[in-house]
Amino acid sequence: MTEPTSSHQHSGHSASSAASHGNDSHGHGAGEHGHGGVGKYILVFLALCVLTSASFFTVSPLWPFHDTPAVGWTFMMAVSCTKAMLVISFFMHLIWEANWKYVLTIPASIMSIFLVLMLVPDVGERTLHYSSSRWLHAAQPRAAAAHGDHGDHESHGDDGHADHPPGESAGEGGGAASH
Amino acid sequence: MAEHAIEHGTEHAGHGHVHLEYQPALPIPNGKLCLWLFLSTEIMFFAGLIGAYIVLRFGAPSGTWPGPHDVHVVEWMGAFNTFVLICSSVTIVLALEASRSGSAGMAKFWLATTLALGCVFLGVKAVEYSSKFSHGIHPMSPRSLLYDRADPYYVSAVSARVAALRSGLDERKNKAPDSFTEQDQQRLDLVSSLQANLVKWTETKVAQTSDQLAREGAIELMAYQIYPLHASHERAEFLHDQELREIAAETQAVTAQRAQATDEESQKALDARLAALRGRQELLPELKAMEHGLNEQHKWLRLPMKIPSGNMWASTYFLLTGFHAIHVAVGLLVFALILPVRLTPRKSHVLENVGLYWHFVDLVWIFLFPLLYLF
Repeated sequence: MTEPTSSHQHSGHSASSAASHGNDSHGHGAGEHGHGGVGKYILVFLALCVLTSASFFTVSPLWPFHDTPAVGWTFMMAVSCTKAMLVISFFMHLIWEANWKYVLTIPASIMSIFLVLMLVPDVGERTLHYSSSRWLHAAQPRAAAAHGDHGDHESHGDDGHADHPPGESAGEGGGAASH
Repeated sequence: MAEHAIEHGTEHAGHGHVHLEYQPALPIPNGKLCLWLFLSTEIMFFAGLIGAYIVLRFGAPSGTWPGPHDVHVVEWMGAFNTFVLICSSVTIVLALEASRSGSAGMAKFWLATTLALGCVFLGVKAVEYSSKFSHGIHPMSPRSLLYDRADPYYVSAVSARVAALRSGLDERKNKAPDSFTEQDQQRLDLVSSLQANLVKWTETKVAQTSDQLAREGAIELMAYQIYPLHASHERAEFLHDQELREIAAETQAVTAQRAQATDEESQKALDARLAALRGRQELLPELKAMEHGLNEQHKWLRLPMKIPSGNMWASTYFLLTGFHAIHVAVGLLVFALILPVRLTPRKSHVLENVGLYWHFVDLVWIFLFPLLYLF
């Protein structure tokens, strides 16, 4: 009966990177400065600010990929994931925790990522696979979708309405369907 | 706790009776474990909401999802709120550090700072919401002025609104002519002009032509004059110029007919048509001069607006930011509750748990900000 207890304590020590403070059962006051520290938090804070401005940069005129919005979206999501990892790791102290952290975070993350990834092709990109008879009952005329399929802003004017100019659905829609 | 268990175990070693002892499955306090379990459900909750948003946004007919400026989303406000939340994450973690190192006073200071920053976040959110509401963007239909398509339903909605404004002003003028001010008279003039030269004109054009593209064009031009979307600027310019040419040609033709007309009946009809053409011709440059449309120029009009996928946008925007704001509010409530407590090292676990929750709220915003403001 005593065996598991002591081994549990042992594993708690070896798993945590800062052996000096061990797990919480040692009490809160002692040795809590083994990790963290104000300096580290300020560094993370600065990194988060820089990353926020980085994603804000994608809407500035200096951003070179305004024609292909998917580049900006991917960039922003990468930045967001980086920020999330910083917050989780340092502010939520997860890099200093023992291995129990994987038990809770990995299943939740997998489920949430799978949910989104499974919905996107099924629902999000459904108009890419519409048959021509389905298009007859679509909420929007096909011209707009064909325009999105090609990802080509100039093609809209030649879609059969010679008397209507391009530009009705210009803007960021070009890449929406191709995403 | 562990040392105590070992001691306890050896003490009773030889006695042979069954001895049960509590062993935590995970080496963390129960409170923290519960909070993490709660957070993992929260991750999935927000993943569901964000997933719904992504699906609706990219599943929307391509090119229709409104850009930030079409729906009065101000990017720098979102960026500012991101900054505020990041700051509050730092202050709550500093509160925890202070509490652990025994300086309860500093812990209280940082906790109060976090509370204040959270309130700033909610304040900015409230300003953003009210700017949407004041532009007629609501998540639900009784107040929402959003229409997805420039179709006959849209025309009849505009027509009903203009008629309601007109009858309201007329009634006031008839019942209390003394309190009917100069401004009211101006409004009445504008509404009458819009009724004749915007709504009736469009309705007539839609009813008379059999060309579907011309019908759509007429409604789209009206929608643009009420609420111009950046993406349809080019098309609206084209439709505007086309209509000016048509009016010029028709005026010439009708004038010639009028000169030859002999019976009174057709003279009257031709005169009426000429008046309609003139009225429209006079209104068009006025409308064009309103760079941000009728609704922005005269906020009291509150005419229905055409924003493609606008209702879907409003639903997802208010759902996501609303649920996030509720989480912020709950966090602030907890901060306010523990603010009077003296945050000694023994009680620092409370701060740790609240802090974890607060960081999670920050985490959600880290994803919501680019998705809702920058995509």
